[in-house]
Amino acid sequence: MYKNVIKMSFYSRRQFISSSLKTAAALTWLPPLQATEPPKLVVVRQASAAELVEGAIGLLGGMSRFVKKGQSVLVKPNMSWDRLPEQAATTNPEAVAKVVELCRKAGARQIRVIDRTCNQPQRCYRQSGIERAAKDAGAQVRHIVPSRFRDVSIPDGLLLRSWPIYEDVFGFDVIINMPIAKSHNISGVTLGMKNIMGLLGGNRGELHVDFDTKIVDLNSVIRPALTIIDAYRILRRNGPSGGSLQDVEEKRIVIAGTDPVATDAYACRLFDLMPEQVAYLQQAHARGLGELDVAKVPAKEFNFMAN
Amino acid sequence: MRIARQISQLFFLLLFIFLFLQARFPYDALLPSDLFLRSSPLVALTTFLSSRTLAAKLAIGLAILLLTLPFGRFFCGWICPLGTTLDAAGRLFFRNRRERATHIVRTYRTWKYALLIFIVIAALFSVQLAWFFDPLVLLSRFATVVFYPVFVLFSQGLFDAAFKIEFMQDQVYALYDWAQKWLLPIAQPVVTNGLAILVIFITILALGLVSRRFWCRSLCPLGALLGLCSKYRLLQRKVDSSCTSCGLCQRRCRMAAIGENGLSTNPAECIECGQCVAECPTHSISYGLGLKRRREGKDVDLSRRRILMAGVAGLSFALFLRIPRAHAHGKVIRPPGAINEETFLQKCIRCQACTRICASTGGCLQPSMSETDLQGLWSPIVIARMGYCEYNCTLCGQVCPTGAIQELMLARKQQLKIGRALFDKDVCIPWREHKDCLVCEEHCPLPQKAIRFDVQTVRTGSGETRTVKLPYVVAELCIGCGICETKCPLPGRPGISVTAEGNERVKFVS
Repeated sequence: MYKNVIKMSFYSRRQFISSSLKTAAALTWLPPLQATEPPKLVVVRQASAAELVEGAIGLLGGMSRFVKKGQSVLVKPNMSWDRLPEQAATTNPEAVAKVVELCRKAGARQIRVIDRTCNQPQRCYRQSGIERAAKDAGAQVRHIVPSRFRDVSIPDGLLLRSWPIYEDVFGFDVIINMPIAKSHNISGVTLGMKNIMGLLGGNRGELHVDFDTKIVDLNSVIRPALTIIDAYRILRRNGPSGGSLQDVEEKRIVIAGTDPVATDAYACRLFDLMPEQVAYLQQAHARGLGELDVAKVPAKEFNFMAN
Repeated sequence: MRIARQISQLFFLLLFIFLFLQARFPYDALLPSDLFLRSSPLVALTTFLSSRTLAAKLAIGLAILLLTLPFGRFFCGWICPLGTTLDAAGRLFFRNRRERATHIVRTYRTWKYALLIFIVIAALFSVQLAWFFDPLVLLSRFATVVFYPVFVLFSQGLFDAAFKIEFMQDQVYALYDWAQKWLLPIAQPVVTNGLAILVIFITILALGLVSRRFWCRSLCPLGALLGLCSKYRLLQRKVDSSCTSCGLCQRRCRMAAIGENGLSTNPAECIECGQCVAECPTHSISYGLGLKRRREGKDVDLSRRRILMAGVAGLSFALFLRIPRAHAHGKVIRPPGAINEETFLQKCIRCQACTRICASTGGCLQPSMSETDLQGLWSPIVIARMGYCEYNCTLCGQVCPTGAIQELMLARKQQLKIGRALFDKDVCIPWREHKDCLVCEEHCPLPQKAIRFDVQTVRTGSGETRTVKLPYVVAELCIGCGICETKCPLPGRPGISVTAEGNERVKFVS
């Protein structure tokens, strides 16, 4: 078993590098209009947070691919902590604002930004800068109402048979998941799949025991149409709440895609991890939630500095 | 004059409510939310006498006292929100009550002076008791501990019902958003000790059955203090020669300040409400400045024996409370910025201003009951299982009217130890079950992390070997904020809890 893991990871790393080289080459040599099928995974580098998001959505085929005119959109950034954007514990506010703006331009009827925070909600919404930025961009920024959680059964759950989930998850047409890439002392990394915890009610602390199985259980019922991982700044150590600027690294990357496992798997690279080392990703793949082997999901890449 | 007074009463009651609602995160009010508490001369007097220092914030109270010398008990009639509440309650609930005979009322009204002497003597012996009796404190405490939590529960229930209406979700949510900005806190405030505080408040209201403003006439020690200062007032009630001595004003006076013939006035009792001016059928009554006064009997009718009794009672009670009780010291966690325990108790008026604003952020502060002895009753303590001290918050010190909690700079507060966290390894999940948890570590707000973990390979009871992250506390870093205890996912007894070990105190500055 152990051997197998090593072998697999070696294989996929090689594949990974070769495929990214190929994609890079393709991007450089081929005119972008030739793409026939819209990509599942895109990676954009070296620009401001807003530009990165705009670039990523552009490569994915534009926001209209996900948001149709008159639809309602639920945007779920990470606003969990009473921390400043520079501390990289919460999603970049400019990135959130840009997503809201793009949704609005795509003709969304209603855009709501929401998160169940760990510190006092008003502090987090304020300090993260997301409340202001998203409101200015035209979203409704709302606080969680405790009575609006609904017990949802999890048919494919191994450990969880049901869990209270926020009503908007089912009342909105499109969910856009906007995590920030952080290290996490319990799960290794916190990316898209972990970010959906902000839509959960109940005693979330209980989820920490046998975390990997439970987070996959939950991801089997909460299915975002699009995951945009903000890695403009990442938190390398002491995640998820951080607090020290020494743990922050400015990466200037945005990874976005439609496959929640593949986007997370790709983002593992930021932390020098192989996706197979992250137990919940491996389990998510095994249980059919998405692709773990990034080589099988060719990433479309774009570097602002190189173009 | 009556209409002006009613407008003033309404204005100050609304101001009280407005300031009350302002006491929350984000706290960027134009006026300090503890303005009313600061303006009580009784609070200023007793905290000064008991601790021998005075917070600069309480200067407003002294200003009111100085204004009382020429203008009398205007504060009671025109400003005091408890007085307004009692007036309103009297009109709503006790309309048809018969007035008791005047002489009974006159006997009762000396009580408040006795109470004042009791409090002042106790304060001289370093025990501050105004916290139990001051009307502004009483009202603030009742509003914080009972009224607001109930109001929130009620409003939340209305919203919950409204949220059930399928087609109006967005409108209701927008309204809820607005309400959260102005009326409702982000989470239901939970404050302990509600029952005792409710009973006291209801009693004060119910005394309205005996007479109008019974509390103000007979019990309020602040009223007594202001009454004593009004004895040689310049603003007088004047009755001109057209008076027919019909006795209407005497019957209508809510303070029983007017003599039998309608001509004389008790300067220590009159609160200048203007009822007599408005109702006099011959328009004989007016208020004006002057030295001449007509009085009937003594203004302050307190025998020497009574004074002595009240003084002895104050002294004995103060000494009784000061008997050292070993168990009470160093057991409780005080808010960050609390001054040393002895002075803290002399200054703290249990107004619950800190508890109220804390409920809008971390929610760790609660009025104490059995945790401290009687001398510390209802003083603020941290109960970390109910809430925690927000790392980025200094609000309790900002709203403390007496300086018992000093206002701290954020950088200082973030390093100030209020306690220290300890793992209970028989309870904590990783320690007892060898399963990963680390919720406490995740929430620890310190940049360097006061909770860390060792990765260890352990053998479980069933003989299986596995690796587990075993958490521990770095004592030098832990500031005792208690978020680890609050968020510990175990039901009931937490796997980590904070104790008062190393509870740092701050010097009283102002």
